[in-house]
Amino acid sequence: MELLFSNLEHGFSVALSLNNLLFALLGALIGTAIGVLPGIGPVATISLLLPITFGQPATTAIIMLAGIYYGAQYGGSTTAILLNLPGEVSSVVTTLEGYKMARNGRAGAALAIAALGSFFAGSVATILVAASGPVLTDIALSFGPADYFSLMFLGLVISAVLAQGSVLKSVGMVVLGVALGLVGTDVQTGQQRFTFGVPELSDGIGFVAIAMGMFGICEIILNLERPEARSVLSSKVGSLWLTKTEWKRAIPSVLRGTAVGSVLGILPGGGAALSSFASYMMERKMSRYRHEFGTGAIEGVAGPESANNAASQTSFIPLLTLGIPANAVMALMVGALIIQGIQPGPRMVESQPDLFWGLIASMWIGNLMLLVINLPMIGMWVKLLQVPYRYLYPSILIFCLIGVYSLNNNVFDVYLTVVFGFIGYLCAKLKLEGAPLLIGFVLGPMMEEHLRRAMLLSRGDPTVFVERPISATMLALAALALAAMLLPNIRKGKDKALSE
Amino acid sequence: MKINAKDAASACLLILLALIGLWLNQDHTLGTARRMGPGYMPMLTFVVLLIIGIGVLGISLFSGPDPLEPWAFRELILILVSMIVFGLLLEQAGLFVSIAATVAVSALADRTHKPLGVAGCALALIVICWWVFIDQLDIRVPIWPQF
Repeated sequence: MELLFSNLEHGFSVALSLNNLLFALLGALIGTAIGVLPGIGPVATISLLLPITFGQPATTAIIMLAGIYYGAQYGGSTTAILLNLPGEVSSVVTTLEGYKMARNGRAGAALAIAALGSFFAGSVATILVAASGPVLTDIALSFGPADYFSLMFLGLVISAVLAQGSVLKSVGMVVLGVALGLVGTDVQTGQQRFTFGVPELSDGIGFVAIAMGMFGICEIILNLERPEARSVLSSKVGSLWLTKTEWKRAIPSVLRGTAVGSVLGILPGGGAALSSFASYMMERKMSRYRHEFGTGAIEGVAGPESANNAASQTSFIPLLTLGIPANAVMALMVGALIIQGIQPGPRMVESQPDLFWGLIASMWIGNLMLLVINLPMIGMWVKLLQVPYRYLYPSILIFCLIGVYSLNNNVFDVYLTVVFGFIGYLCAKLKLEGAPLLIGFVLGPMMEEHLRRAMLLSRGDPTVFVERPISATMLALAALALAAMLLPNIRKGKDKALSE
Repeated sequence: MKINAKDAASACLLILLALIGLWLNQDHTLGTARRMGPGYMPMLTFVVLLIIGIGVLGISLFSGPDPLEPWAFRELILILVSMIVFGLLLEQAGLFVSIAATVAVSALADRTHKPLGVAGCALALIVICWWVFIDQLDIRVPIWPQF
């Protein structure tokens, strides 16, 4: 316990340095902005800004990118409540009760509980990350190559199972991502694989090009295709404070949402969107005021908003302790770390204490900043929505292009982004999910390495994967997750939760 | 039978990619399970991809109907072309010209754009990009046309 405090103290000393504070604020501001704006998600934005962070130390870069991710959860709720327009996927459910509350003249209360609930959930989840980090790391250090392989396998399976739409198609996208990760020089023999003699491909396909193409560029085209009318709520936001009954009703929901979000955030493929759905379902079943759902029940805002913020913090746990990304945003973080020369994994807590504890401390600071950014300045963010999309998309496009070029100062990366923009659009039209592909792409090369090492150690005996208890448990869980999806009832429940 | 056209097309795509992958992988030594060569993991990956593709195809035969969606070719092509224009121009014509050209081409994708708005947008972006990328981040890219 004492160690935890001294570590946290160290973390705060890192996070409170002027440069890191500045970048945490920058991340929070950008995150809120893209959260408010529909059509730009955190995945696209983070891949857009990845190249910009290279000039900064790793800790500063990750602090800013993390700020964007959880900032988006705050910002997304603003438009959901005021305009019935979810700025992010994770705030889709907030529109259900939040917009009704705004219609009833309680917009201020909805915004306040969304921000306060998020802050509470974020604080709890941050403590959870700090407390569980070193413990999980100790466990992870006893992992052998076979265990790692199985753990990553489990991660891929769960991320496919929890993705939207058909499980089998998502598994296909994961495998396709692994296949894309194969391109480049084979680490052990130096042989070129699938490079077609293109020298630029010998280091592998650029991670940023895939992420930007599949998310950034593809989103632009999809948004242009279906122009949406935006109307700003004319009625007043109203008092930003809650009445006594509202407090009474909201607090249990915030607590439940925090718990649900913290747990679901850790799961691969979970993250913010899934947990806000789960929390909404839970509130609708457990609240004493469930008959009011659909007419503007505060529980339906407090729960999901707390849940999505808690999840966005705890989804850092598998990344920081095991080096395994839980969702597409975390896959981007892995990309950022690797480009910075840091191999994510259990040794990170020891070898990069500044990064680990600094990030944790900055999460809490960032949440505090977001509370200030969001509540009193709500009017400014709503104004942002009046910027027409026709001015927004050329800007996104240009930032994407310059960013991707500056990675290697090579226009080849620009063309690669064009290719993945096309692939992203093709996938969107066929309802193939991009997120599992990105996770597969990041985990693929690591899996290959661990597989090779495990098989070498076992002298080519594949039973090593079921003989080691940790590995066997992981594989059993993966099989269980796949089997569960075959049961029609569970599948229907998932579809319902994700499609509403 | 209600055919799910989206799934069927996805399946064909996955199968096609798996077959191409397996074909290309013939160049790489497989090695043994104990000492895997460069071709071992690709072989595993593409075989799994092939099996999944066939599985998706099977399910698609009765999970529909889900017809294919029309493509917005105009928007798609204009955005992608505007990006290619950027790539072609950047190292010869410099950053400012490339930004202006890319904004101009991509603006055609949105019919509500007006010439004056496009010009303003391009100018604003040139100023912002100069400040962020050249002045602040100091990336190495020609600003003006190179002769």
